[in-house]
Amino acid sequence: MGIEIAALASFFGLTGAFALVGTVLAAWMAWRIVEKAGLPGWTGLGAILLTLTGVGTIVPLILLWIFAFMRWPRDEAAPAGSFGYTAPRGGAPTTGPVALSGPPMALPDARGWRLAGTLGNGGTVSLSVAGTSGTYALTGAQGGAPADLSVPDPSVGRPHARLMLSGQRLGLEDLGSPGGTFIDGARLLPEHGPRDISAVRSIRLGSVELTLSRA
Amino acid sequence: MASLVTWVLALGSLTVALMLVSYVLLSLVLIIPTWRICTRAGFSGALSLFHLVPFIGSFIVMGMLAFSTWPAGEAAPRR
Repeated sequence: MGIEIAALASFFGLTGAFALVGTVLAAWMAWRIVEKAGLPGWTGLGAILLTLTGVGTIVPLILLWIFAFMRWPRDEAAPAGSFGYTAPRGGAPTTGPVALSGPPMALPDARGWRLAGTLGNGGTVSLSVAGTSGTYALTGAQGGAPADLSVPDPSVGRPHARLMLSGQRLGLEDLGSPGGTFIDGARLLPEHGPRDISAVRSIRLGSVELTLSRA
Repeated sequence: MASLVTWVLALGSLTVALMLVSYVLLSLVLIIPTWRICTRAGFSGALSLFHLVPFIGSFIVMGMLAFSTWPAGEAAPRR
């Protein structure tokens, strides 16, 4: 009798261990999937962990349907003119008659942008974008128009992508070059439209990784 | 006796058929949303048919979606 009980206990223990590993694995994968769609990773994790609670599997199943048919933040193209800089109206609010008044408006950052990286042949490239507005073509061709930023590498299209500068924001739009455009490792497609890259660390054009910084 | 065996076999076949149909119908609850997720990610929707594989099918689909680059593009990582 004791052997049977021990066998049953070990069987359920093994089953429980498999269930635990499966749940952790599923939660990790769900985290990554929802992040790729543009949602916070914890929402996917939470949906899987809900199976451990009293609501069983029905609620995670409903959440799966919602996730499949909802609008993903990834698909939301940047609205036209969203790169414009709008100065705040008036100054900072005062808190009382003795408080100092705030500055009339935020001072804009006058620094430009710099893209630097290493080419496939071992050479380096450094591009500077100054000013507060303008559109630049990132191209693999050398010596083009004044608005062209040359990245002389075979993997970079001619043109490859478009940089848009507006105020303190920098936008990037893929032009459908076969080498692909990536923002911090995430693929940017032409149908995504322009994306704000002011806060990203690097972009990749074909096989050329360019680090973005303020000049 | 022979008719009893035939009756038992027919009942067994019917039970198995009903179980299979039920399994496919239940799998559809997972396959339909996963099909849409796969196509929106840029994969073939047929990838979601892995849900028909018992036990590990769902993990295969989730693994494909989680650890491969989405052909239709991904959102930039949050920080």
